[in-house]
Amino acid sequence: MFVPFGKINKQVLAIMVGGQAVLVLLLWHVSSNGLIPQPLKVANAFLELLQTKLLWDNVLTSLMLTLEAMFYSVLITLFFTYLSVVPFFKTIALFLVKCRYLTLTGLIFIFTLLTKDGSQLKLSLLVFGMVPFFVTSFLGVILNIDKQQYELCKTLGYTHWQTVYEVIIIGKADQVLEILRQNFAISWLMITLVEGYSMSEGGIGALIIKYNKYNDLTNVLALQLVIFLIGLGFDYLLGALRKWFFPYTKLI
Amino acid sequence: MTIHTKAEVILKAENVQLSFGNTIILRDINFCIKNILRPGYEQGQVVSLIGRSGIGKTQLFKILSGLQHPTSGKVTINNNNTIKAGDMGVIFQNYYLFEWRSIHTSLMLAATQNKRLKGKENETVNKYLDDFGLKAISGYYPQQLSGGQRQRASIIQQLLKGSDFLLLDEPFSGLDVVMLDRVVSLLLQVSLSDELKTLIIVSHDIETAVAISDTVFIMGEEAGKPGATIKKEIDLIERDLAWQKDVKLLKRFTETIDEIKAAL
Repeated sequence: MFVPFGKINKQVLAIMVGGQAVLVLLLWHVSSNGLIPQPLKVANAFLELLQTKLLWDNVLTSLMLTLEAMFYSVLITLFFTYLSVVPFFKTIALFLVKCRYLTLTGLIFIFTLLTKDGSQLKLSLLVFGMVPFFVTSFLGVILNIDKQQYELCKTLGYTHWQTVYEVIIIGKADQVLEILRQNFAISWLMITLVEGYSMSEGGIGALIIKYNKYNDLTNVLALQLVIFLIGLGFDYLLGALRKWFFPYTKLI
Repeated sequence: MTIHTKAEVILKAENVQLSFGNTIILRDINFCIKNILRPGYEQGQVVSLIGRSGIGKTQLFKILSGLQHPTSGKVTINNNNTIKAGDMGVIFQNYYLFEWRSIHTSLMLAATQNKRLKGKENETVNKYLDDFGLKAISGYYPQQLSGGQRQRASIIQQLLKGSDFLLLDEPFSGLDVVMLDRVVSLLLQVSLSDELKTLIIVSHDIETAVAISDTVFIMGEEAGKPGATIKKEIDLIERDLAWQKDVKLLKRFTETIDEIKAAL
């Protein structure tokens, strides 16, 4: 367990993870003072929240917005990254990669001018925030494609576009889901931020801000737990979908 | 000597040179491969390009396959056409396959590239799978195959494409004795499949390459001159070393191997 590259069986792993979790909760419990709520209190708040319509309505609002933003982000990402093998589009893709250094905060006013309502504002901010990260990940995948994959296509007499289709579109289709899985965390992180810009439509981000405003840390942490669990759920779901749609990924 | 005639030139390398910057890798590469006719037999040619490791064999392999353009000179095939990628079947040393396609799908993709197979792609693929003993695992992905199965799938893929030439990069590298015999049988099976089928083997395994070839070209460097070139051509038919069973047991075979080693 404490040896580099050591291997442990599933039973030991389960006991180890359980022990680590208990240790963290104990530390949290012991170190909590009056301001930071204790884990049991957060757990109770979490269970209470689960029974409220308020939570589910807001979670649904956030999820719908995230999925919509991810859909558009993936479309834009695929368009520019698939075409990044064409020199004209490569520069655009590389520019999009660099856009991840831009902060959303400085662009809110411009986006407010460009969009019709709060809903559009949130969606466009999310897409703008997510695309550079999606493009960075997928462009990395394309740039790291083994040269022999292209050479094999050449030896089989493929045209350039046939090669793009076989090696990049079909050959890396599984990576689209993997990138979605890896970057879901970013979109989930951003949603709480952008929902704060237009709170009238609700959402889990708006709910957190509201609880924060009244220093209700117990509910804030309970909401964090909700966000964390939904994130884990998506992580598992996208991983499972990848294995189901692309069975060869299980073999590597 | 076995009765045979050498007919038309089917591949010719003329003054091929390859340099990277100021470094000359290959120079004055000149050789030709002729269609060998053997009365009563329908079989292709097996030619070996032998040289030490790091001499530039892989670069010549890439030029012959059309994947690399020479700095000067040219390689032409049938009717003086300059070679381009796709003209030759190419078997890479690591038997590269599309990892995301099942073997059957991969082979179907190769078959659809061959216009001569139009309408009978599936039938031909199944025949090859049967002939090469891969029928039972046609639905497998490349990662599920053993090294030998992968090699056979890779060879079928290139055969389905329909090229008369099959270039093989170090096909004997890293194989155990049993696998080596199987690969040799497999290559002979391919060469016997068609009179025009020409196998060009790039290898540093002298004994195995010579045992299945009819012609050997030796690559090496010449004193005082940069870059590798073809130093010698050995016609194994003239020496009665081609198409012989148990050729390795013959004294003249051993002498030829010594001669090649001395020339490297």
